[in-house]
Amino acid sequence: MMKLVQVLYKKEMLDASRDKRSVMAGLYYAIGAPIVMCLLFTILLKQLSSPEALEITIENSDAAPSLVSYLEAYDISHGQEGNTKAITLIIDEDYELDMSEGRSARVTIVADKSDNKLIKSVRRLEAALARYNSEVAGLRLISRGIDPSIMRAINVQTHDQATPDSKGGMFLGIATLSIIIALFYSAMNLAIDTSAGERERNSLALLLSHPLSSTQIVLAKVAAIASYSMIGLVLVLIVSKFAYGMVPWEQLGFSINLDVMFILFCTLIGLPIALMSASLLVFVSFMAKSFKEAQSYVAFVLFVPIGLSMMTTYDIATDYVQWIPIAAQQYAMIEVIKGNELPLMQVILSSFGTLALFAIFTMLSSKMLKSEKVVFGL
Amino acid sequence: MNKYGSHFVKLFSSGLATLAIACSGIATAQQNTPLEACYVEGLQDRLMCGSVSQPLSKNSPSEKVEIHFAVIPAIKQLHPKEAVLAFAGGPGQSAIEVAAIFARNLKYARENRDIILVDQRGTGKSQLLQCDSGSIKEQFAFDDQALSFITFTQEETNKCKAQLQVDLSNFTTVAAASDFEAVRIALGYDKLHLYGASYGTRIAQEYLRQYPESVASATLDGVVPMQQSLVAIGDAIDGALNEVFLDCMADNACLKQYPTLANDYAELIASLKDKPITVKVRHPRTFEEIKLVITESKLRGAVRMALYSHTTRSLIPLVIDSAKRENYSPLAGLLGNETTLGGIAMGMHSAITCGEDWPNLTEPDRVQYSQSYFGKMMIESLDAICPIWQVEPVDESFYKPVKTDLPILLLSGGLDPATPPSWAELAMVNLSNAKHLVAPSATHGVAAQTCANKVIGQFINTLTFSELTTDCLDKDNRKQYFMNINGPVANQSKGKTND
Repeated sequence: MMKLVQVLYKKEMLDASRDKRSVMAGLYYAIGAPIVMCLLFTILLKQLSSPEALEITIENSDAAPSLVSYLEAYDISHGQEGNTKAITLIIDEDYELDMSEGRSARVTIVADKSDNKLIKSVRRLEAALARYNSEVAGLRLISRGIDPSIMRAINVQTHDQATPDSKGGMFLGIATLSIIIALFYSAMNLAIDTSAGERERNSLALLLSHPLSSTQIVLAKVAAIASYSMIGLVLVLIVSKFAYGMVPWEQLGFSINLDVMFILFCTLIGLPIALMSASLLVFVSFMAKSFKEAQSYVAFVLFVPIGLSMMTTYDIATDYVQWIPIAAQQYAMIEVIKGNELPLMQVILSSFGTLALFAIFTMLSSKMLKSEKVVFGL
Repeated sequence: MNKYGSHFVKLFSSGLATLAIACSGIATAQQNTPLEACYVEGLQDRLMCGSVSQPLSKNSPSEKVEIHFAVIPAIKQLHPKEAVLAFAGGPGQSAIEVAAIFARNLKYARENRDIILVDQRGTGKSQLLQCDSGSIKEQFAFDDQALSFITFTQEETNKCKAQLQVDLSNFTTVAAASDFEAVRIALGYDKLHLYGASYGTRIAQEYLRQYPESVASATLDGVVPMQQSLVAIGDAIDGALNEVFLDCMADNACLKQYPTLANDYAELIASLKDKPITVKVRHPRTFEEIKLVITESKLRGAVRMALYSHTTRSLIPLVIDSAKRENYSPLAGLLGNETTLGGIAMGMHSAITCGEDWPNLTEPDRVQYSQSYFGKMMIESLDAICPIWQVEPVDESFYKPVKTDLPILLLSGGLDPATPPSWAELAMVNLSNAKHLVAPSATHGVAAQTCANKVIGQFINTLTFSELTTDCLDKDNRKQYFMNINGPVANQSKGKTND
């Protein structure tokens, strides 16, 4: 029986590889997605981070030369028209008087804090002003013979347990999301073509007329589709490894590093997902009456795994979702990148769950193939 | 410890603070050592800490000293076989304790490489050689002019020696270099980029000399040339203070507020030399009323330490002017604010100075260095303490300038009260692939000020000098002087009525 499946698998692979253009079209995602993603990330990082030399508008700067030169030491200065960020620092009219008499001298920051492109720069200005504030206050205390450390009534120390590899946060989620999706998208066309497509070309009936069980036929098709999924997965991993390495993450104080171990790990946990994905795609395609209809259903059904993956990406209800297939595997991938301990229980259970789904979908598909209604798309 | 002791320690540390050395042992390859996560004051990041066991001396390999180190992990590890090894100053500072400062100075270098911090033997966690130092209250009340400086220095040294019970000869720069090599081997790095600040530049040069194969580059920030004794520091201190006076004269507001600053200072010193002033002040922290005996050395010491950072430097005119007007609160504030320096392990400090800076002082050196107050004071104190410690003098070859064609970046601050730019020139004589950058308005430790941290990052990445962007080193980062106790703004003619 396995022999027959093997022969059929070879036939399916040969069939698929004949239409090179559509195979490539499937794999474009694997090659293109990480590259596009990284370009977007690079632009996003640039927008999120404050420019090295931050130029703002400082009003009445003559009143506070000391403050202005302090800000300049942190690369924040009054800029000319053009490059200036929409942040204005207004130095109060009474600044000099208040400063010389030991009163709190007012400066006002005018900016739109809902503007994501500005927020880092505003925070940077606020931080610099806070430092200037404590510097002058400290010197005022020393001038009065008082140790400025008394201002620190409690000494707050934070022990951040994150490592540079684990600080990627949502970026890690999106990166792993794009890897998981590759398993579904790379062979989507192929799956529709080999099921709904074959039916429309009437070659499915021909296939069924051979001394084969419908389970064997479904298994061979699923195996061929899963093989292309795996090719897509390996491709996306390799391209990601290089693409993510090019993004200047370190500017934000973290890194996303996909090492060989991670690639091997993903390939391993990707295998059950590829089988499940293939069986799901075949099942959905057979459900549809026509090729076009299959395309719509598949696109729709794919929202389920993507949704699960998104839940991990955006950290929603991780306690429960962590155990569900796909979400769990993605969670494990993120943990591996972060260098944390592998959530072995989740990986094993969810992989078995994934394989169970594969079995169910395969069974359902083979059952459907016994129905003439399905075979002839009636 | 009694009241003399504490003050002695303070005097001594303020006399020498800013240089450091280590002693050479045998670099025995260690098996990879287990590391564990750890944290340090002021740094949120998780570091990896560990230690290697090193023979205390070549003569008695059975006696061990445990050398502790910490690794600040790279943000994005592009060079796993390379790391930046940072050497602390003092001599006697713990590199691990000041990790937050190194993390800032090496921020850009850290983007792609780990940073290694090693507590040099005798400092921090590596067999700390520290003697008690007195409380602020004791230091304030102590009159260092009332009895023989030599006598009380010797008393204190004897006590410290009895407390520590070690042969300081095992704690010189030459002896410590092998510990750093052992750490490199234990951590499995092939090449190191050295970064030394202040005394750390001396141990960096010694390491480079003993283990050139382990070094990819060196950045020396505030350079101590091998051929120079730390005692020569006196001129730099005087020069840096003179810059304050010149600055103030060049600034209209400052000149108006403090028209006779240099003169006031000279008069104050002369009168204190004659007779110390005793006043009641508030304890800077507890606010208890305590006695403050103001002596020449306390005034000079406080002003000297204030020269190290632009922040405290901006108070100097105010402190002098107020003292002249018999208001000693600002001076008390400065005297009570020396915590910023970080702990100096005095035993280790003495090992370095007595083993390396004292034995080779020639008569002409002594005459020359004694021309400045601090040079004279340091020679006197070394003459008093070194015969007690009996540190074995380092070999003559130690004083040879380091010769190498590895890329070396030297950084100096134009206003440095410890290691002026001329010292770096002296260190460069046999460096064939070196570049000396001067930040005209920087004080001691250029990387902590200005954009030098960026330059260091570029240098370590490219190992060339032509591509460095160094314009920003010229940026004037002096701060405006305090015009009164409230800040850098002079009193205004108009005033608010509600005071």
